[in-house]
Amino acid sequence: MFLTIRRTFREAIQNFIRNGWLSIATVSILILSLYVLSVFFVVTSTANSIMKDVQGKVNISIYFKPDVSEQTIAEVKADLEGFNEVQSVRYVSKEQALEDFKKNNASEPIILQSLDEIGGNPLLASLVVKAGDPTRYQAISDHINQAAFFSEISRINYGKNKEIIDRLNSIVATIKKIGTSLGILFAAISLLITFNAVRITIYTHKQEIEIMRLVGASNYFIRMPFIFEGVIYGVMGTVFSMLILFISVRFVTPYVSSAIPSSNLVEFYFNNFGILLGGQAALGVFLGVIGSLIAMRKYLKV
Amino acid sequence: MIKFDSVSKVYKGDFPALEDINLEIHEGEFVSVVGQSGSGKSTLLKLIYAEEMATSGEVYFNSSLLNNLSRRKLPYHRRNIGMIFQDFKLLPRKTVFENVAYALEVAGIPDEEIQENVQQILDIVSMGEKMKKYPNQLSGGEQQKVAIARALVHAPMVIIADEPTGNLDPVTSLEIVQLLMRINELGTTVVLASHDKDIVDKVNRRVLVLDNGKIIVDCAKGKYKAS
Repeated sequence: MFLTIRRTFREAIQNFIRNGWLSIATVSILILSLYVLSVFFVVTSTANSIMKDVQGKVNISIYFKPDVSEQTIAEVKADLEGFNEVQSVRYVSKEQALEDFKKNNASEPIILQSLDEIGGNPLLASLVVKAGDPTRYQAISDHINQAAFFSEISRINYGKNKEIIDRLNSIVATIKKIGTSLGILFAAISLLITFNAVRITIYTHKQEIEIMRLVGASNYFIRMPFIFEGVIYGVMGTVFSMLILFISVRFVTPYVSSAIPSSNLVEFYFNNFGILLGGQAALGVFLGVIGSLIAMRKYLKV
Repeated sequence: MIKFDSVSKVYKGDFPALEDINLEIHEGEFVSVVGQSGSGKSTLLKLIYAEEMATSGEVYFNSSLLNNLSRRKLPYHRRNIGMIFQDFKLLPRKTVFENVAYALEVAGIPDEEIQENVQQILDIVSMGEKMKKYPNQLSGGEQQKVAIARALVHAPMVIIADEPTGNLDPVTSLEIVQLLMRINELGTTVVLASHDKDIVDKVNRRVLVLDNGKIIVDCAKGKYKAS
């Protein structure tokens, strides 16, 4: 059993090498599809992490009229916290707001001076609301607009990042769509190419397969090399795709980092090395073996 | 060892290739099957190595019936037989050594044994020097010698040779036949199909003459007789 596996595997390697150009062409296509898929994986993951970064900075601030009591605000806070879409609500008192304001404008003596001239505290108490899912801010603001405490509110400030988030959201969704469809397309192409390579191998080996049978080779002994050939395609495709991916990541990182400081693609590559390698190897070998199996079913009647 | 019991073979939608063949071949015999093209020589041999199945009647090999040999058991049957063909049927992508070794590899023989046996058998057919060559680098006679080495290497009970000299010049043909005769002297049964009168006369052993799918002559020690 072990002997047969070793021999048929060696046979597959021999076929792979002695088939030269056909093997190179097949592996190239496989490299291309695995590469495209992993590039999209890297791009979507990076976009997602940027999204998360930005999303953390989005919130809704609700400013209350000056005469609203802390008691009422606490009730509103409790009400909002009970709302499903809300992740957290933070209370900022008038005094806190004043302190923050002073701190933020410490370097602007004129502003501080005018504040002193007004006397008292002109700032309003507020609640800072964060949503669990940034696409749900609309629901939260609808809820506030219809709430009983609406009359107590002076004004509502939607985070300035909302527009950016909406745009990012749609960009990521588009990337995902394009990535998935291109990925499926390329996977289908590599499946066809592997199928074709093995089909041609079977075709050119037709006479050889006949001879093998005459010499007393079992079906198993004749078939295994073709399956292993598929495995070799997958492994070779993965190795080269990982290599090219590394090179392109290295090349692109300086440009991306200058545009988006929070990203580091090389680091991402190494942090996700296992996922990238494992995923590609699994997919590559799967495509190679399935291609071989289909070709054998169709053309290798033993 | 090989027995045909009222065997007929009809290819689909065609006239009978073999009709009512009764034949017994014993261990150690050298049987020459002669006859014109289309007389049924190849079909007779194909029935022995189970490439074709009899339409009616029974074919026995070593007292087991071949008629309903399953595809799974076919490889094991083939390993009892060594085959030689007019077109050599060597694997073009394998070297001389690999071609001969393949017959042992499929049978699961250990590597050391393969190494040894292949070397030995190639020396016997005097191809030891050209072990690393590919078939297309050899002459026809040399290729046939490699094919004979492959047919012999697993020590089969029977060698079946279908027009082994068909593509060779007379001198090389003689060499090949002498090789077959030596193999037979060592105890292996040989079934040779040929329409070459000189070859069959040279062997001078049992001759079967086929004509239109029927055995018309079966003499224990004889020469080629045209029908």
